Amino acid sequence: MDGKPVIQVEDVSKLFRTPTEGTISALQGISLSIIPGEFVTVVGPSGCGKSTLLKLIAGFSPPSSGRILYQGEEVRGLNTKVGYVPQESKLFPWLTVEENVGFGLDAKRYSRQDRERQVRQFINLAGLAGFEKYYPAQLSGGMSKRASIMRALAYEPPGILMDEPFGPLDAQTRMVLQDELLKIWEQKRQTILFVTHDLVEAVALADRVLVMTHRPGKIKDIINVTMARPRNIFEIHRQDGFDDAYGRLWNIFRHELNIGPD
Amino acid sequence: MSKDISQENSRASSPSRGTVVQAGGALPMGGFRITLARFVIIGGFLLLWEIASGRWIEPFLISSPSRILSSLIAGFREGDLFQHTWVTFQEIAIGFPLGAISGIALGYCFGRSRFLAEIFEPIIIALNGIPRTAVAPLFIVWLGIGLWSKVGVVFLLTFFLNFFNTYTGMRQMDREYIDLASLMGVKGWKLSFKVIFPAISPYVFTGIRTSIPFAVIGAIVGEFVASTEGLGFFIRMSAGIFKTADVFVGIIVLMIMVIIIDKIAEMIEKRALRWQNQTEHIQIQA
Repeated sequence: MDGKPVIQVEDVSKLFRTPTEGTISALQGISLSIIPGEFVTVVGPSGCGKSTLLKLIAGFSPPSSGRILYQGEEVRGLNTKVGYVPQESKLFPWLTVEENVGFGLDAKRYSRQDRERQVRQFINLAGLAGFEKYYPAQLSGGMSKRASIMRALAYEPPGILMDEPFGPLDAQTRMVLQDELLKIWEQKRQTILFVTHDLVEAVALADRVLVMTHRPGKIKDIINVTMARPRNIFEIHRQDGFDDAYGRLWNIFRHELNIGPD
Repeated sequence: MSKDISQENSRASSPSRGTVVQAGGALPMGGFRITLARFVIIGGFLLLWEIASGRWIEPFLISSPSRILSSLIAGFREGDLFQHTWVTFQEIAIGFPLGAISGIALGYCFGRSRFLAEIFEPIIIALNGIPRTAVAPLFIVWLGIGLWSKVGVVFLLTFFLNFFNTYTGMRQMDREYIDLASLMGVKGWKLSFKVIFPAISPYVFTGIRTSIPFAVIGAIVGEFVASTEGLGFFIRMSAGIFKTADVFVGIIVLMIMVIIIDKIAEMIEKRALRWQNQTEHIQIQA
């Protein structure tokens, strides 16, 4: 299955019925295909259906038309082979860091040793060693975010969906976590679809950036980011290819933002 | 520990009360002075009561602390106070867990099944409108004068409180936890016990804790209506023959019973919700 897309979205649309506005079209004619090991980011104005796209791939609700394939199979019902990192950390507050990170392993067939090894490995990767027995309420925002990402990575799903995971963090923490995410991704090479509204983040992380339009969400353009890897997040502006990709992205995006005098 | 349960009306209350109570208990602020003040107030009150009795107010109206204490000792030593306590305790020990568990189970089912909830919710709310103690005589008719009619009243009084709190928990809980767990392949009973019950446990414990005094009320009301033994019977009988000291003895035993049951529930709650109490924050960059 090498080279075959992990996630394939074929002409997908999604309509929502709302009591106040009637039927609204959240997504329209979305098609995309993500190959194994690819890091794809999605940017677009808020309310453009970025999160909806992730929810459809996760199988939380079915598309109104079109279809979604995951590892070649159509997604019907919950897609339990995909990892999902929500906007807020959403760690299970009644479980320790260790239990949270290992949560997804329980439903899969792991031996006890494998399970422990796996949890240990990902806790170490996230720099959470020493905090295994802590409850989420005791963690800082950055730490819970890390644990939340590790929870999705630890059972090694082939594809991982991330819904603005770094949105609520402060700028510094954000950069540190972006850097760590890239390092882990370079080791594990899981396929990632990452939603963000931050253009710099979108370019810095991605192989390809998907630009979406305001409602109804359509794919306006796809930008290839040719920056070499591994990348240095902290000095991303100086890296070859950043300005070019960012410039192109900004050009597309400015029309979406309706920038005018007030 | 202050809990204001001033009305019998079983409205689901927010689980914050439990946490507030715990936080209050953990406050180290001027511990000794507070304890001292408490003793002075209670001691002063008892002293005033003792002095007033027989001097300003007839003893058969208010008895006195010394009389109550000697009646308490005599009641347990020679009388049948132990038997009465045991009977009431049994009624609560059977009716309360039954009521709590059924209430929690139904609240859970309603939370899981929109279909069930839509059908039964108005019915439950209508039934909740009945003043439950008014049903007590019916239970005597149905279940006889003995243990089971009181178990029935205790059940009825605890059931709704637990139901409403659990159901509120089910509706308030963050659905995203269920979604995330399901996405990770967790389902069935594992989903219930590893995710849903922990998520609603603060509400469930609020239901349990607030229903404890009502379980005792249920037993006493049942005994007031018709019985041949139990603390309710003891209190009513003592009042009937103006043995006021014995009335107070019954009340004190009931109070102690509530406190003990509540302490046990509190211990279990603290263990079960220890993840909630860990609020010490670690400040580490990122």
